[in-house]
Amino acid sequence: MGGSSRRLQKWARQSFLLLPVVFMTVFLLLPLGFMVVVSFWKRAMLRMVPDFVLTNYADFLSGPRMAVLGRSFAVAIEATAIGLLIAYPIAYYLARTAKPSRTRIVLLLFTVPFLINYIIRAFAWTFLLGRTGPINTALMNLGLTDGPVDWLLYSDFAVLVGMISSYMPFMIFPLWISIAGIDRRLAEASWMLGAAPWTTFWRVILPLSMPGVFAAIIFSFVGCFGESAVPTILGGVGYQLIGNEITSTMDVLNYPLAAAISSVVTAAMLVLLAIWYVAFDLRAFLGKILAWRMA
Amino acid sequence: MKAGLRIGCNPGWLAWCGIGLVLALLYVPLLPPMLFSVSPDTAVGGWTLRWYSEMWKNPLLAGSVITSIEAALIVAVVTPVLALGAAMAIRELKAPRLILLLMLLPLFVPGVSMGLANAFFFRIIGVSPSLLTIAIVQIMWALPFAVLVVLTAMSTFDPIYIEAAHMSGAGRWRAFRDIELPLIRPGLSGAATFSLILSFNETIRTALVQGPLNTVQTYIWSTYKQIGLSPTLYALMTLLILLTLLLVGMIVVRGHILDRRR
Repeated sequence: MGGSSRRLQKWARQSFLLLPVVFMTVFLLLPLGFMVVVSFWKRAMLRMVPDFVLTNYADFLSGPRMAVLGRSFAVAIEATAIGLLIAYPIAYYLARTAKPSRTRIVLLLFTVPFLINYIIRAFAWTFLLGRTGPINTALMNLGLTDGPVDWLLYSDFAVLVGMISSYMPFMIFPLWISIAGIDRRLAEASWMLGAAPWTTFWRVILPLSMPGVFAAIIFSFVGCFGESAVPTILGGVGYQLIGNEITSTMDVLNYPLAAAISSVVTAAMLVLLAIWYVAFDLRAFLGKILAWRMA
Repeated sequence: MKAGLRIGCNPGWLAWCGIGLVLALLYVPLLPPMLFSVSPDTAVGGWTLRWYSEMWKNPLLAGSVITSIEAALIVAVVTPVLALGAAMAIRELKAPRLILLLMLLPLFVPGVSMGLANAFFFRIIGVSPSLLTIAIVQIMWALPFAVLVVLTAMSTFDPIYIEAAHMSGAGRWRAFRDIELPLIRPGLSGAATFSLILSFNETIRTALVQGPLNTVQTYIWSTYKQIGLSPTLYALMTLLILLTLLLVGMIVVRGHILDRRR
């Protein structure tokens, strides 16, 4: 093989490896940067004019939009906390007690609904939670309530149901990966040293599974915080979270303001991600997948 | 010994009941669209396939089906190739953690922000919305999952095979083509199917960069926002649910066959 063709081959290989990095940089990092730039632009006659003004952020951080921000925070934290309380025991059981063959089936079962558009599932909840839906019908038939329960749909409750069920697989997977990666000998050592099962969990398993816990929190919190379809469908008329605030701002063609709100949401995400990146080793999280590369 | 390591005294059946309950909450929402799609009216009672035949009369919808299929095919071909490059970059280049984080980043950016940022970007650089912009946004959404699938496939074989190939005189390209590629091919086809599914089920990001086009999902979404839900939309949703289940079934059966062969 000639030297030049070998050089060509090496060059082709290098560019193949760098292609995805370039792709992400051009179509994700650059646009996110542009969005921040646009957020300082001025809106004039339904058009965007390059400028450097802070009016968009002032607009966003004052008045009713601040309340929307607060509500988004509250809903995202509630959904994440409840989701974690449901997902952790399941992930724990699957990782440490259940048979591996069963674990695989259950994890697959958790993946399938995630693959089906969550918007379709949110539509279904409007029926299930509605005044004439099966839940209200069952409650009335059982004599638990006289009339249909109204707070089931178009409420915080409905939005929480929609969000928790949308992000459940996103929470179970990182939790399962991190718990399954914990060396069993550590728990055995704790047991042999006389620790009660609860103490072993609290002082050994839980701290070691923190990378997964934090990953689950990020997925769920960022997802719920920026969610736009679920509040629109399940929150009812006038229910605004930051996500559908962005879309409704775009509907009135105020793009710089939409960019400003979006930048704040993205910044919140980046801060969380940076904490995760600095505090935890990806090796601990992705365990075996990366072990052979980074050992 | 093993029993002593288990936490608490909750018997297995209690745990499985809990898991079953959570799974039920995830699966029950798949039923109403199916029911409504075969109901003569919005009330449940009797059944009909009318909506399935009627929806094809809408030219807007027929166009969106074609766009969806075109976009999904592009995404399913391009994403695994990029994912393979990314996985190899993570293995061979410096700063693997940073590259991995960059590849996983789309998972962490809220859909609206990502779609909006891309919409601005395409507008500023003068690319008008088209099948290309839809495909780019969907590839970005599918890539993190595809990278994880390919990385997992790569981690299951011993790098010593490649060393053996090198020692037998194979160049890097031959070692890759003859040894590594056949071993990770299931991972690549899994990544392709995954990308196909994610592309078919994407709404929010696509809606912001599609311009005059529509995919089936964005058609459902915009029709819902303009005039609300209808039996025709439920029929569409049912078809999407069934298509997704079919594709997942294919992955599972394939994996099963491969497991048996080993």
